[in-house]
Amino acid sequence: MYIDDLKFSDVLYGKILRSPHAHAKIKRIDTSKAEALLGVRAVVTGKDAPFRGGEAIRDQPFLAVGKVRCVGEVVAAVAADTKEIAEHAIGLIVVEYEPLAAVLDVMEAVKPSAPLIHEEMHAYAHMPVVTVVPHTNICAKFEFKQGDVEKGFRESDYVFEDTFRFPTGHHCQIEPFGAVAQVSVNGKITIWVANDAPHRLRKDIADAMGIPFENLRVICPPFMGGGFGGKGGLKVETVCIALAMHTNGRPVKIILDREEVFMASLMKHAAVATVKTGVKKDGKIVATHAKLYYDTGAYAEKGPTVTLHGCESGVGPYKVPNTLVEGYTVYTNNPVAGALRGYGLPQSSWAHESMIDMIADKLGIDQIEMRLKNALEEGSINPTRGDILTSVGLKECITKAAEAIEWNKPRPLNRGVGIACEYKATKTPSGSSAFVKVEQDGSASVITSAVEVGQGIKTILAQIASEELGIPMDRVIVTSPDTDYTPWDASTTASRATFHMGNAVRNAAKDAKVQILALAAAALSVSAEDLEVSNGEIRLKGGDKKMTVAEAIRGKWKSGLTVLGRGTYYPEIKGTMFSARSIFYMYAAQAVDLEVDPETGKIKVHKVAAAHDVGKALNPMAVEGQIEGGVVQGLGTGLWEEVLYDENGKMLNPNFRDYRVPTAVDAPEIIPIIVEATHEEGPFGAKGIGEMTLVSTPTAVGNAIYNATGIRLKELPATPERLLKYLKARSSRTEE
Amino acid sequence: MKFRVNDEWRELDASPTKSLLDVLRDDLFLTGTKRGCDSGECGACTVIMNGKAVNACLVLATELDGSEITTIEGLGRSVDKLHPLQKAFIEKGAVQCGFCTPGIIMTAKAFLDMNPKPTEEEVRDAISGNLCRCTGYSKIVNAILAGAEEVGRLKH
Repeated sequence: MYIDDLKFSDVLYGKILRSPHAHAKIKRIDTSKAEALLGVRAVVTGKDAPFRGGEAIRDQPFLAVGKVRCVGEVVAAVAADTKEIAEHAIGLIVVEYEPLAAVLDVMEAVKPSAPLIHEEMHAYAHMPVVTVVPHTNICAKFEFKQGDVEKGFRESDYVFEDTFRFPTGHHCQIEPFGAVAQVSVNGKITIWVANDAPHRLRKDIADAMGIPFENLRVICPPFMGGGFGGKGGLKVETVCIALAMHTNGRPVKIILDREEVFMASLMKHAAVATVKTGVKKDGKIVATHAKLYYDTGAYAEKGPTVTLHGCESGVGPYKVPNTLVEGYTVYTNNPVAGALRGYGLPQSSWAHESMIDMIADKLGIDQIEMRLKNALEEGSINPTRGDILTSVGLKECITKAAEAIEWNKPRPLNRGVGIACEYKATKTPSGSSAFVKVEQDGSASVITSAVEVGQGIKTILAQIASEELGIPMDRVIVTSPDTDYTPWDASTTASRATFHMGNAVRNAAKDAKVQILALAAAALSVSAEDLEVSNGEIRLKGGDKKMTVAEAIRGKWKSGLTVLGRGTYYPEIKGTMFSARSIFYMYAAQAVDLEVDPETGKIKVHKVAAAHDVGKALNPMAVEGQIEGGVVQGLGTGLWEEVLYDENGKMLNPNFRDYRVPTAVDAPEIIPIIVEATHEEGPFGAKGIGEMTLVSTPTAVGNAIYNATGIRLKELPATPERLLKYLKARSSRTEE
Repeated sequence: MKFRVNDEWRELDASPTKSLLDVLRDDLFLTGTKRGCDSGECGACTVIMNGKAVNACLVLATELDGSEITTIEGLGRSVDKLHPLQKAFIEKGAVQCGFCTPGIIMTAKAFLDMNPKPTEEEVRDAISGNLCRCTGYSKIVNAILAGAEEVGRLKH
C-alpha cells in the first residue's frame, strides 16, 4: 500500500502550474478563468498560503510569492473533481512574468557580480548550525580545522592541488511523489504522505504556519516506493495543504507525473571541489586543504547540512594532522538540490579519493598501500572534528575489497581496477522514541515513527523487539508512522534508524519485559531475577517452562490488559543537531573492475567488491541488499546519469528515456563484504549502512578508468562521449 | 466491452482516453499494478495480456475487448498460496521498497512461461525494461532463477 493506492471518497485532484522561467518577477496572475471552470473547487497562489518553510533555512514559500527562482517552481495550483478538469484549469491561468538575469553555475553564483537570488536571506530563520553570508548567494558556510595546514604544507616533501567537478543527478525513486491533505471543520490538518520524517515534517509545517503540533497530523502509508533522501522536507505537502484549506473539508490529492518528479522534486547537488594535499616522500599525508562548493539550487532545503557532512569527510578517512575544510552552500537558479544517499560525500570523495591515487602514482606507491599507510584506525583522531574514533573497521574494508577484486592480478590493456574508501558521520545528536506493547495473547506491537523506505527497518525493529522480549518474531508487528499516535523520531535518514530507533525499541522492549517478569515472579513466588523468557515462554533460568507470556498477563488481569513498555534514545552528546561529533562513524572501501572499449568509449563493469563496516549486521541479507543497490546507483552516477539543462535552466532530459538509470543488463556482479567493528552503544553492536553504499562507487570508477587507460577524469559521468574525447587525444599522442 | 481479469469476466464502458493502467487502478481497484512513469519506460505497470508482458500504461482501454489480463493480484491470492516467483522474491531478499516488484514478477512470469530454463544473461535481458532503483538487481535475478527451478520442479 503506497500513497497513490490510498482511496478517499470525495477526493479532489490537485494540479500545479509551474514556472517556465529560471528567475523572474511575477507581475500578475489571473486565475479567474480557471475559477469559473465547472468542477474546479479551489485555485490558490502564493498570497493564499503566505507561509515559508525549510529545514535548514526557512526560505521556501509554499507557492511562489513575488518572484520565481527556478524552472518548475510552484506558481499556482488547482483542485478539481477530476484530473482532467484540474489539468484543463491549469492551462487557463494567466501569469505575466518579467524575466530576471539568472545564474546557473555554482562558481558564477559566488561571484560578487552575480544576481542575488534571495534579497532577504539575512532575515530568514535558520538552524543554529548554519552561518549565512548576507547579501551574497552563499546561504551557508562551514569550516573544519585541525592543526596548521600552512605549516603542514611547508613540512611536506610534495604538495598536490587539483579541482574536480561533480554532476547533478536525480534520485529516480520509481514511485512518484504524492500527498493527500484534508482540513477538518475545527481546522485540524491531516496529511497522508510518504515522507521520510513525519515528525520533522509536522514540526517544519507547524513552524512555517505558526500552528501548534496538535493541529497537524502526518500519516505515512505503510510503504514508500524508494526515498534515498529525496522524500523528506516539504515537497507536494505544502501545495496540498494550501489547496485543502479552501475545499470545505474535501481531501486533495496530488501525485506528480514523472516529468515533474525530475524537474521539481529534488536534485543531487552538483559540486566543485578543490583539494590541496601535502605528503612526505614515503606517502604519509601531512596536510590537506579542501574547498567545496555545493549548488543547492533555488532554495536551501537540506543543502547546508549536506555541505556540512561533505566537509566533515572532506579530507578522506585518513590520519591527517593538519586540515582545513571550507564548504559553501550556494543558491543558483537551478532546481532545488537536497539529500541524496551519501549526503554530500560522493562529491567530496570524488576530489580527495581521486587525489590520493594521483599522489600514489607520482610517488610510485601502490594505491592500496598508500591508503593503508594513512587509513584511520581504532583510536585515531578524526582529521576534521578532532574527536577520538572508536569502532573503526576501515583497514579491514580496504584489504578485503582489494582481495575480492583480485587487485594484483595482471589485466590486459584498457582493463583496470580502482578503489576508493570513506568514512561518514550520522547526524548528531538526534533522538528517537518508541513504545512496545504486549497483549494478553502474548503478541507484541512496536509503536514507532521509523519509515519503511525499503531498507527493511520494520524487519530490523521486529527482530530487535523479538530478541529482547523473548517473543517469537512472527508474533511481533511494527506500526507505520502516524504523528497522533506514534512518538517522535528525528528522521529515517543519515543511516541512523537501526542505531537510534533500534536502541529506543530495545529500551522499550526491556521495559515491557521487566513488567512481564514481575507479573510472573509474583505468580510463581520467585524473584524476577531468577526468570528468563524466550519463545514466549517464561522459565527459571536454565530450568523448565513455568508459564507463557500470555499466561503471565492474563493471570494478573483476568479481564484483559496491555503491558506498555516505553523507550527512548538520545546520545549523551551536547550541541544542536549536526553540530556535534558523530555518535558513530561508518567505514567502507569499494573496488571496481572495468574495461574501456578504446573505439567507442563504452565501459563494461565486470565486478564490484564493496566492503562495509556496519558495526554488527543484524540482518545480513538486508545489509547485502543495501550494498548492492547503492553500488548500482553509484555506477549510474559514475557512468551514465547526468541531468542536462538548456541555457535558460530548463531540464532537457526529464524522463527515463533520456536520463539513463542502470538496468539489469548494466548491473555487474557485486561482491558485498560485511565488516563488523562493533559499536559499544549500538543495538547489539550495530551502526548503519544505507548512505555509505554509493559514496565511493563513482570515484572507484574514475580511479579504475585511470588504471585501465591512463586517463584521469576530473568530471563525471564517464559517458562514452566524454571518454572518447580523451581516448582520441591519447591515441594522437601515441601516434606522435 | 468485456474482458477477463485474473480469471473473472469484467464489463466496462471503455473511455477512449483511458489506459489499461487507469482501468485497473481506478475502476477495478487493482492497485497492485503501479504507475511509475506513465510512458512505458519504467515497467512498474507490467501485466500479462493474452500471454505477453505489456506496459499497462501503453495499452488503450479500447483495445481490451475479449482479452485476457493477469495482474499481480491474480498470481498469489493469499500468503499461503504464493506463486513460486513470489516465494523466491521473499526468500532471496529481492524486494526492497517493493514498488517495481509487481511489474518485475509479471515480466518474469511471462518470460518463464516461454523460456522455463533461462540463463542468468537471459533473465537480465528479459527484465531490462523494468527499472529497480533499490536492489542493484542481483537478488532479483537470483530470485527469478530460483523461481524458474521451482516452477520446473512443480511441473514434474
